Amino acid sequence: MKILNSILFVLCFAATAANAQNKSHMIGIGPTKVLDTYLTPENFSGTGLTYLYIKEQYDSTRHWSNTIEHEVDLSNTHDRSDNINDLEITYNLYWARYYNFRPVFNGLKLQAGVAANLCTGAIYNMTSSNNPAQARAALNIMPSATATYGFRISNQRFTARYELNLPLLGVMFSPNYGQSYYEIFSRGNYDHNIVPTTFISAPTFRQLASVDWHCSKKWALRLAYLGNYQQAQVNNLKQHTYTHRILLGITRNL
Amino acid sequence: MSKLFYLLFALLLCTSCVKEDEQPDTPTGNFEALWQIIDEHYCFFDYKDIDWNHIYNIYKVRVSDNMSREQLFEVLTDMLSELRDGHVNLYTAFDNGRYWSWYEDYPTNFSDTLQRRYLGTDYRIAGGLRYRILDDNIGYVYYGSFSSGVGEGNLDEVIQYLMFCQGMILDIRSNGGGDLTNAEKLAARFCNEKTLVGYMQHKTGKGHNDFSAQEPQYIEPSSNLRWQKKVVLLTNRGVFSAANEFTTYMKCMPQCTVVGDHTGGGSGLPFTASLPNGWTVRFSACPTYDRDHNQTEFGIEPDYNVSLTDEDFAKGKDTIIEFARNILVN
Repeated sequence: MKILNSILFVLCFAATAANAQNKSHMIGIGPTKVLDTYLTPENFSGTGLTYLYIKEQYDSTRHWSNTIEHEVDLSNTHDRSDNINDLEITYNLYWARYYNFRPVFNGLKLQAGVAANLCTGAIYNMTSSNNPAQARAALNIMPSATATYGFRISNQRFTARYELNLPLLGVMFSPNYGQSYYEIFSRGNYDHNIVPTTFISAPTFRQLASVDWHCSKKWALRLAYLGNYQQAQVNNLKQHTYTHRILLGITRNL
Repeated sequence: MSKLFYLLFALLLCTSCVKEDEQPDTPTGNFEALWQIIDEHYCFFDYKDIDWNHIYNIYKVRVSDNMSREQLFEVLTDMLSELRDGHVNLYTAFDNGRYWSWYEDYPTNFSDTLQRRYLGTDYRIAGGLRYRILDDNIGYVYYGSFSSGVGEGNLDEVIQYLMFCQGMILDIRSNGGGDLTNAEKLAARFCNEKTLVGYMQHKTGKGHNDFSAQEPQYIEPSSNLRWQKKVVLLTNRGVFSAANEFTTYMKCMPQCTVVGDHTGGGSGLPFTASLPNGWTVRFSACPTYDRDHNQTEFGIEPDYNVSLTDEDFAKGKDTIIEFARNILVN
């Protein structure tokens, strides 16, 4: 019975500690650049919207913590002649596991770890009838790091945070150089369509810089910059989607 | 800790941009962009024995940066016509560049005036199909475009309606193609076992001979109603692209006879790309073959080559339909 009580006490303490978390909801706007040589060799640029949700979980009893991010991008882009439009939509899920280092430099917290990124999406060319769309699907392992620094200005509490996700390994879907989607999905003719990638062939990386103004004990207003640079060069095809966003949102500390 | 951050820093240094060089938006730049798109993606250079570098030299001298858009359009369309391909088009806001000699240089062998005498006005419509029973108990079905969808329910209704006919005339004359899945869906009503109908391949790189292996294409028999009697497929030079492919499929069906004119061809699945000035080019990208590995890009020869005659036309008779009726009755 004594042992059972001890276990229950430890579990309750662990659960309380694990409940420490930050949740952020952000909406942003900014420029997007799209290239996909499967559709056309021309570059497209335009404006896009992003919704970003971040959930950071801390466990004061452990060195490791989890972060989950959901990112949805929607962009309308056009070519340089302004005759042709591409619609781009992407969903990214990041699940990161970080090691928390001891605070340095007067409260600077550093984390380093690995993020698993699931990316799905599509590009739709509004004028093409024969190969009008390109699907995006990738799974990436991304070495990641964050730096968080709390400071005060005129008795107001602020937190600055920077996150960097870098490419390492992954797999992605891609049609072969001249392969039609009809051949892949109607005929089932697969030809190197699931491609292993590295930081050389798919140099995708992402950075997020934010400043929180803690307007109350639980709530903070967040201003952030998100740069997501998704790129790949497989099956003799080149593709990139560069998004730059200024985001505004709220953060709740639990 | 420092080792981890050194690793991240090293990865950041290795990360480079994936970019594609663009041609300038000038007549010369657009010419170069078009020539390069075709050079890297077009799939019939060897089959048609086209020296694309030689074509470059011929047309490059006709391009200058002070020419008008109409002049540039003319030069680019002329260059594309060297490919002799109905799937190659240049789309602009003011005109569509095209190569239509595959049917414009030949008699049509199809008259909607004559067809109306057979269909009448009380014909039935099921999806993209128009059909009726002719006086001699022959079913007549016209499918004018594979862009018009047809559902499994439509096909069931048509077959059920024509069930007691002596045979079926399936007329696809002047069907310029459309959705290949409609062609497959229809062909699946004419086979009772999995049937090899051809092969398909695609380009794997920029070289003129960078192709994948030829993958076999099969038609699986439909699990719904299937046509078990004789069928005569009517073709002409206007049968192109998906309709040409459908003819390839039907040539493999044992109870099918093809009557009419040589088909127009168009066996390459088309892709599109755009130029710096916003014009769009369409081109053949994935070649298909018949079950004997023969190209069908320049069309398919019917089992019986029959043309409309002036005498029959004057009598209000369609020579090709009458020939098909004879086959089915006898």
